[in-house]
Amino acid sequence: MLNIEHLTKTYGEKKAVDDLSLHIRPGEIFGFIGHNGAGKSTTLKCAVGILHFDAGTVTIGGKNLADDPLSCKRELAYIPDNPDLYDFMSGIKYLNFIADIFGIGADVRQERIRHYADLLELTGDLAQPISAYSHGMKQKLAVIAAWIHDPKLIIMDEPFVGLDPKASHLLKEMMRQHCDKGGAIFFSTHVLEVAEKLCDKVAIIKQGKLIKVGTMEEVKGDDSLEEVFLELEAE
Amino acid sequence: MLKVLLKKQLAEVFKGYFFDAKKNKMRSKGAIVLWFILFVVLMVGVLGGMFTMMAVGLCDPLNQVGMAWLYFLIMCGIAILLGAFGSVFNTYSGLYLAKDNDLLLSLPIPVRTVMAARLINVYLLGAMYSGVVLLPALIVYWVVAGVTAARVICGVLLLLIVTTIVLLLSCVLGWAVAKISLKLKNKSFITVLISLAFIGAYYFFYFKANDLIQDIILNAAVYGEKVKGAAYGLYLFGRIGEGDWPAVAIFTGVTALLSALLWIVMSRSFLRVATSTGAVKKARYVEKQARENSPFGAMLTKEFARFTSSANYMLNCGLGVLLLPAMGILLLIKGRDLDMVFSILLAEYPDAFAVLLCAMLCLLSAMNDTAAPSVSLEGKSLWIPQSLPVSAKTVLRAKAAVQMIVTVLPALFAAICVALVIEASPAVKALVCVLPPVYAVFSALFGTVIGLKMPLLNWTNEITPIKQSGAVAVALFGGWGICFAFGGLYMLIGHRIGATPYLLIWTVLFTVAALVLLRWLDTRGVKAFAEL
Repeated sequence: MLNIEHLTKTYGEKKAVDDLSLHIRPGEIFGFIGHNGAGKSTTLKCAVGILHFDAGTVTIGGKNLADDPLSCKRELAYIPDNPDLYDFMSGIKYLNFIADIFGIGADVRQERIRHYADLLELTGDLAQPISAYSHGMKQKLAVIAAWIHDPKLIIMDEPFVGLDPKASHLLKEMMRQHCDKGGAIFFSTHVLEVAEKLCDKVAIIKQGKLIKVGTMEEVKGDDSLEEVFLELEAE
Repeated sequence: MLKVLLKKQLAEVFKGYFFDAKKNKMRSKGAIVLWFILFVVLMVGVLGGMFTMMAVGLCDPLNQVGMAWLYFLIMCGIAILLGAFGSVFNTYSGLYLAKDNDLLLSLPIPVRTVMAARLINVYLLGAMYSGVVLLPALIVYWVVAGVTAARVICGVLLLLIVTTIVLLLSCVLGWAVAKISLKLKNKSFITVLISLAFIGAYYFFYFKANDLIQDIILNAAVYGEKVKGAAYGLYLFGRIGEGDWPAVAIFTGVTALLSALLWIVMSRSFLRVATSTGAVKKARYVEKQARENSPFGAMLTKEFARFTSSANYMLNCGLGVLLLPAMGILLLIKGRDLDMVFSILLAEYPDAFAVLLCAMLCLLSAMNDTAAPSVSLEGKSLWIPQSLPVSAKTVLRAKAAVQMIVTVLPALFAAICVALVIEASPAVKALVCVLPPVYAVFSALFGTVIGLKMPLLNWTNEITPIKQSGAVAVALFGGWGICFAFGGLYMLIGHRIGATPYLLIWTVLFTVAALVLLRWLDTRGVKAFAEL
């Protein structure tokens, strides 16, 4: 679903991502962990076509992101670490805007908006301007916007930040259901307990380089993910 | 404690002088000094100078006929109006919507101290605005009537009374603005309308000021008697400046009483007001089937929503929407008379009136510069168009299209009005109708290109990209420069080839330039947008 090969991205002299390769297959929830400034967000932004990279390739569903960015972007949804949405729109207008961009028919979008907004308990606030939303409400709206076009691949940067426990639980269920239907999820997180319970595969990045990748069992063995992570960080 | 809070308040008000929002860092000491010099020049030199001229015109004639009180009444009236309206929006945000109320109230600071700091801040700002009127008025009076101890003491007391009245009015008006704004639905449109009304009233009085002064001087005795008869209090108020001690005593007492009343009322309500969330009635969501849009349609709708959601954006980048039709209507009324005057004045330049009006319409079109800050206004939301399956070409074209839509139709309307009133050949009339809309298209594409070349994405207040960005300055002044060149060149050399070829050449030039800019946007512009 998502293949990242030898990705390198530099900011001036600094290599934010250094020769990183990852493969995310359909049905997988893939966790991406690392300390602050390790290169997680940069990798995710490169994978969704927001940032241009210096070397390497990104392919989504077999299509090269550099050659055919629009086709690739039609297959994916992205939720950034800080949901800076269009504050001047209401929640429902934002969702309709996203649905228009993805060409989702009126009936289908109406049904999906109803389903996900009810699920995340945001229906009553959809007519409110986004500027009046709390961080958690914006995050919920970003989640609905990501799910509205039923993408094959969902890429999320710290998706649980700001969500209340119930919404976090619901999002985890939505992630699992999405992958059970054949979709794939690639997300970064600092919450290692969540990653440990939720992810099929995990990758650990340090100073832009991939230092460990594999299934959860391969990465952590008999230890906890936290122990493995701290051990690798200390090296 | 009060001093620390006051320092913080003033630092907030003058933040722009110390902090460069574009570069997101503190200004250098030299830059801070320069900004303050500019501020002083503007307040003392421009505003103060303007009111000094007014005082000079009024003071001597009224003083000579023993009606200096009317002079003070007029100047105090202007000072109170300017002070109250100048600081009302600051009062609204500073007193009732202060973002740091929660923080300050959580600190070991008495509530009264917080309130006092806020009120002193409002007082100082009001005093600044009213001072630029009243200080020159007092100085001019002392020069004209002579300096005596009574006049100086009463003058200083008058200044204190007026600035306190400004504070009282600011608090009441600020409270009213806060209450009204909570009830309003289309705040941005209403703010635009009120602001335009103020601007209109300002220019109306500015242009009428000389006539008004002359009228007051000529009919001073009549007006004086009317005021004395109908509003004796106003007469007494004016007498303060002349050194009338009973008047000083009465108004000092009344102002002190009202100030005490304000303090008591505000002490009781401040905590409640300061901690209220200002929440408006929640909009109820009613599910209904949405109208489907193409990606371009969606981007265009989004850009229009951005434009109409912000009073700042509409006021600073959309004045042409009103000015172009206003110009057209004005020309329908006065156009023929003007045409006759210009045909005599510019007899050596055939069709100069038509060409100059055409340049004028282009100039007004350039006042619509919504496209220039549009890329910058994406700000932290830039990830949305960059991560969605929508081409940068579509995004950029939608930004240009908004400016085209809000400009081409008003420009066409005004151009048709011009064509109806000018005495010219059918060819000139046709070109007059075509050129301004073509310029409007060129201007929109020019603004989009400039906005893309000079992006400013790390802003904290939208006014930075809208008003203070290089892109907007280049788009606006560059656009005006082109209009001046278009009009000026006709007067210099263009008239030799005649209006028809001249207008045709410029129409072709603008068309070609627009096509080149569009081509640039579709190719290099797309790459530039992706690299933002």
